[in-house]
Amino acid sequence: MKKINPLLLLGMFSMLFAFACKKDEPEDPIIPNEEEVITTLILTLNPDGPGNPVVLTFEDLDGDGGIAPTISGGVLDTNTTYNGSLELLNELENPAQDITEEIEEEAVDHQFFFQPSDNILSVAYDDMDANGNPIGISTILTTTEAGIGTLTITLRHEPNKEAPGVSTGDITNAGGETDIEVTFNVEVQ
Amino acid sequence: MWKFSKYAVVCSVILILPVLTYAQNCNLTISGVVKDVSTEAPISYANLFVKELQSGGVSDSLGFFQMQNICAGNYHVSISHIGFETQELFVNISADTTITVRLDYNSQLLHEAAITVQGGTVTTQETQFLNSESISQNSDKNLATLLESISGVRTIKNGSGIAKPMVHGLYGNRLAILNNGVAQSGQQWGVDHSPEIDPLVANRITVIQGVGTLEYQGSSLGSVILVEPNKIYQDPHLHAESRYFFESNGLGNGINFEMQQYTKAVGWRAIGTLKKSGDNRTSKYYLRNTGNQEANIALQFEKVWNKWWQSDLYFSSFNAEFGVLRGSHIGNLTDLEEAFERDVPFYTQDEFSYAISSPSQKVNHHLLKFHNKFSISEKQSLEITYAGQYNLRKELDVRRSGRSDKPALSLRQVSNFAEAKYQNYLPNNWKLKSGIQLNRVDNTNLPETGILPLIPDYIAYEYGVYAIASKGFEHTVIEFGGRYDYEIRNVAAISTTLPREIIRYQNEYNNLGFMAGIAHELSKNWQTTFNIGYAARNPELNELYSNGLHQGVGGIEEGDPTLSKETSIKNTLSLIGNMRGKLFVEGLVYYQKIDNYIFLTPQDEIRLTIRGAFPVFKYQQTNAQLYGFDLAANYQISERLNITGKYSFIKGYDVSNDLPLVYMPSNNLYSALSYQIPKVGMFYNLGFQVNGNYVFEQKNLHAFQDFVAPPASYFLLGLKVSAEKQLRKWRLNTFIRIENLLNETYRDYLNRQRYFADDMGFNLIVGINTSF
Repeated sequence: MKKINPLLLLGMFSMLFAFACKKDEPEDPIIPNEEEVITTLILTLNPDGPGNPVVLTFEDLDGDGGIAPTISGGVLDTNTTYNGSLELLNELENPAQDITEEIEEEAVDHQFFFQPSDNILSVAYDDMDANGNPIGISTILTTTEAGIGTLTITLRHEPNKEAPGVSTGDITNAGGETDIEVTFNVEVQ
Repeated sequence: MWKFSKYAVVCSVILILPVLTYAQNCNLTISGVVKDVSTEAPISYANLFVKELQSGGVSDSLGFFQMQNICAGNYHVSISHIGFETQELFVNISADTTITVRLDYNSQLLHEAAITVQGGTVTTQETQFLNSESISQNSDKNLATLLESISGVRTIKNGSGIAKPMVHGLYGNRLAILNNGVAQSGQQWGVDHSPEIDPLVANRITVIQGVGTLEYQGSSLGSVILVEPNKIYQDPHLHAESRYFFESNGLGNGINFEMQQYTKAVGWRAIGTLKKSGDNRTSKYYLRNTGNQEANIALQFEKVWNKWWQSDLYFSSFNAEFGVLRGSHIGNLTDLEEAFERDVPFYTQDEFSYAISSPSQKVNHHLLKFHNKFSISEKQSLEITYAGQYNLRKELDVRRSGRSDKPALSLRQVSNFAEAKYQNYLPNNWKLKSGIQLNRVDNTNLPETGILPLIPDYIAYEYGVYAIASKGFEHTVIEFGGRYDYEIRNVAAISTTLPREIIRYQNEYNNLGFMAGIAHELSKNWQTTFNIGYAARNPELNELYSNGLHQGVGGIEEGDPTLSKETSIKNTLSLIGNMRGKLFVEGLVYYQKIDNYIFLTPQDEIRLTIRGAFPVFKYQQTNAQLYGFDLAANYQISERLNITGKYSFIKGYDVSNDLPLVYMPSNNLYSALSYQIPKVGMFYNLGFQVNGNYVFEQKNLHAFQDFVAPPASYFLLGLKVSAEKQLRKWRLNTFIRIENLLNETYRDYLNRQRYFADDMGFNLIVGINTSF
């Protein structure tokens, strides 16, 4: 009988192996329920008196990756006081999940900070957590002269709310992790 | 402890001269000589102790010893000398007996200077190792930090608990780690994943610095780390050993217990480790949430069925929880920049705590290995191995609404490995080694996280064949070989765009590897080795498909599915020798060229998310070069005083972009002055050591290549005192080590925690090892 070349045998074996392995696929991964993601931030500003409400929106519907977020700023009136209210949503869920509730539940561990550029407006807190420190879901926003600039809204998780300046909205000593940091173009006219 | 390195087993020759009388005879003599296993030089002032007699002796200036008036019987003799691994012998004395004891040197220097041509292990690879004595005297350390004492080896860390070894600038999946002959199969996706191995189960840890890949499965571009468990000592009696350590920094405690026996039916060994430590402290403050805990166990069985067939079964389980510095958990780039500016990290507390909360890691790794060796003839053997590994990794982050208890990353990896290995000693001093290996890896994300996974699910098959031939001449050994690898991966990823859908990929790779080396004895005292190897590494899953925010580094990482494999050529040239047995010198020069080197590089793009703007990092390929040298010298000033110096230099260069490579170790200089006393009062083998380690600043880097400039150079001073004592049947071995004696404030370039906090301050470690 003709002797089989061991190399040929090995080659045949590896081809068989390769063929078998190509078929061994992982099962479909379970798509996680991304309940923690914040896709949307809406700041609704209702004027204290006549005028139209202004809505600032940041929307990133597919989360961190993928398509870039859409940001819409707003135009405010001069010398006006607005009642601001923040809403956070997870629109990956259907129906959209209200994340604002989660923040309210853990109010002592969260705080929003509002940083306008060029002093075009000022923001004061209008709510309190269990320890008497501000949260920032409800705010009072005041404009004076006309101007163009930006408003940056930051949400810190586990900040040091007792640190100097933090309760009046100064982020410098707050620490913690940033969960949200969005900047809107704002015009006061 | 019954330490028996393979050299000790091979080399310890017990010559028992026959005598005709069997009557009880108490006029017998045990005599012999103690020699250095590698140089054959006599070892003077070695301590000998016969446990049954509770007495012993000391070898003379020529290494000779004699014990008289011994009765016939069975004896346990331990032979120790500072700087050498203690050897335990079980001898049956029925006549005057002459023993030649060969001790294995502890130090990295002076090892295996002689080429063993006839049988035994023949290699042209540059290898360095730690033996069980060095492992025991550093029982507080993890695998990576333990290996730091080998020149050319550094660690890349995240804090102090999470550390992985780096050899000649390569780490992670460019460096193969073999646990008991099986490639460690776990999650090696980032610098913050440390190898899941308890070094206390090992008897010997070897670093092959040449191109040792051919024989071993697992991705590597050069160096290999072998973690080998102790052989079960061939003694019918039950023996036990325990090790305990305490460390002042982190108030860490650890205990390790080991039992073994070689009965007629089977040899067995059981070993377990428990460790717990709390918050580490820098020179000024506590590092909150940096504690860790471990519970490990290993079981080992050996059975010799007959002259031709023996089996061994090994099971090990590694279970650990590591805290990650609370202040290093950041939300975005603004937080990161703020953290850089701070002297003391956020969340730092004044009190010490053992508590581990988020962010943290929970890791379980189990290994089962069944190995059979068939000796076909005197010269041929066949080994069949099966190994299964189960790896579970959960990473917990600080999350909202009580989700901190839910892992943010949860991965399970199951691997099944089979190997057949054939060895044949051919005429004319030829030796042939060949083998075939199959491996299946199944990596799955557990869907409990509520977060899109960073690494996709996959099933990979690896198939490898290799053959290595070596030939010994009178003063020379040559070695050459080749390896072929085939790998196929079936990947199932989840899209980052909406609607979420499953995307499937298939990767297929064919790789060839080659190696050739020569070891040559230049003279009686000098030896040189040269080694050249070619190897390839397939791009890993994270390099191909990771896509998303890597919060810990404040960046978005993007894989590139079109990456091709890395190919590398590494050369090493070494010179080892001694002058008149007083000055021992070892030098190693290496040059490694890596084509298509994969690395993470910052892009011009800044991506906006709801958490703020993040820089985008992409995996890219370039042609890289790594070169450097390791120098070590040891001078015996007098019988008792000895000085050691080591220097490592390395440079990594991105040839295509004319840039330095990131994450390259900075150069370092180490020196130690040791004083040894064979016997003082009731203690023996007393050792005192002062050591200093100077780590240079990493200047080979441009400012734009990192968020912050590499830390300044630093110098750490250390002290060590060790002593042994025989208490009836118990042998006590104690050590006290002080690290960072001057409580220096420093940061290390290769510790990722450097962005946020200082490195460890003063640490006093006390260890007590006992055995009977």
